[in-house]
Amino acid sequence: MARLGDLERAVMDVLWDADGPRTVRAVMDALGDRGLAYTTVMTVLDRLDGKQLVTREREGRAFAYSPAHDREQLTAELMREALAGAGDDRASALVRFAEQVSPDEAAALQAALARVVARSTDDTAGS
Amino acid sequence: MTPVLLGVIGLLLAHPVPALLARARWPYRAPRAGIVLWQSLALAAVLAVLGAGLSTALWLVTPQDPSVLRIAVHVAVLALTVLVGGRLAWSIVTVGRDVRARRRRHRDLVDLLARVDDDEPSLRILADELPMAYCLPGVGATRVVVSAGTLDRLDAAEVDAVLEHERAHVRARHDLVLEGFTALHRAFPRGPRGDAALHHSEVLVELLADDRARRRCGAVPLARALVTLGTGAATPQGALGAGSAVQVRLERLGDDPDEVRAGRLVSAVAAYAASAVVLVAPTLFLAVPWIASAWQRLA
Repeated sequence: MARLGDLERAVMDVLWDADGPRTVRAVMDALGDRGLAYTTVMTVLDRLDGKQLVTREREGRAFAYSPAHDREQLTAELMREALAGAGDDRASALVRFAEQVSPDEAAALQAALARVVARSTDDTAGS
Repeated sequence: MTPVLLGVIGLLLAHPVPALLARARWPYRAPRAGIVLWQSLALAAVLAVLGAGLSTALWLVTPQDPSVLRIAVHVAVLALTVLVGGRLAWSIVTVGRDVRARRRRHRDLVDLLARVDDDEPSLRILADELPMAYCLPGVGATRVVVSAGTLDRLDAAEVDAVLEHERAHVRARHDLVLEGFTALHRAFPRGPRGDAALHHSEVLVELLADDRARRRCGAVPLARALVTLGTGAATPQGALGAGSAVQVRLERLGDDPDEVRAGRLVSAVAAYAASAVVLVAPTLFLAVPWIASAWQRLA
């Protein structure tokens, strides 16, 4: 599973670095001497296509693949979701450890933290 | 009488009761029982409204003295039932579909862009300075995501506390609890107090995960991590007004553990008892007699 994930990253890196669409064969060559089978690379590209991370167009008898977005666009998309506010009506796709508080509240948090620490040193001293 | 009584119970459970419970602090002491209580209220409200529609439908097909007014009332109750049931079903379907699609996309992006931690295969590290930590729940495809900024700012014990907290969410499928309340809230955004149920279940779920992290890692690392991650980013984005979940969680970590333990039992008993009452009482005193009389009438 991790291997497949690693391969997907490697293939995306190849496509991001390329200056145009690449066929399976070209991607395989660019990946270098990893001993990868043609069908393996094809499967990886197929999966990436399924995830809408690459687009493909017919080039002769084979498909040529390009990245659907560049790395910066995907990073921006990821961060948008990761930082999205809890207040909107959309169900959250992810469960955050802590939502961001206002600066006013930050002072109250520090006070509460001091209480937690004090309680814990009390307990340690007491036991 | 049954449809009217059930309708009244449904309305009470949909508005004044959640409003009352939303002000109470005692469920925080026993979060698991608190979640069960909120779920029971929601389920009981839905069942009451559906029961009202069902019993009124029967009255319509076994007419005795069909005055125009009574027919109008019963048709209105029936329409309300159909509306409630339909909206809720639609909302459950769309929320589930929407959440899963966005979660899958986000997981794909994380897998592509984040580094896998060497020691912890489910942990992904984003190359970003903003402190953040979250989990992406999913069967067999869970990811706990932290930023490089988080790892810079937290020591090892604090990172452990964060991970333990997130694992608790994942293990207990808290996402499904929240999905249910999100669906309820989206089905009835303004009318009943779906927002109270959603907000409080969000807080209670955090408290539940905190309890586990506290048992494993201690209160202090968890509290420090909460403050660091709650105040780290530039833009506040949390709940409006006072009493955010972070505040509630921190104050709870500062409570005396013995007092908490004592209060927990009382709160849990109260919450479970209340849950049983709202679920069982309408069934026992209204639904069962109604089924008995319906049986006689139809037989």
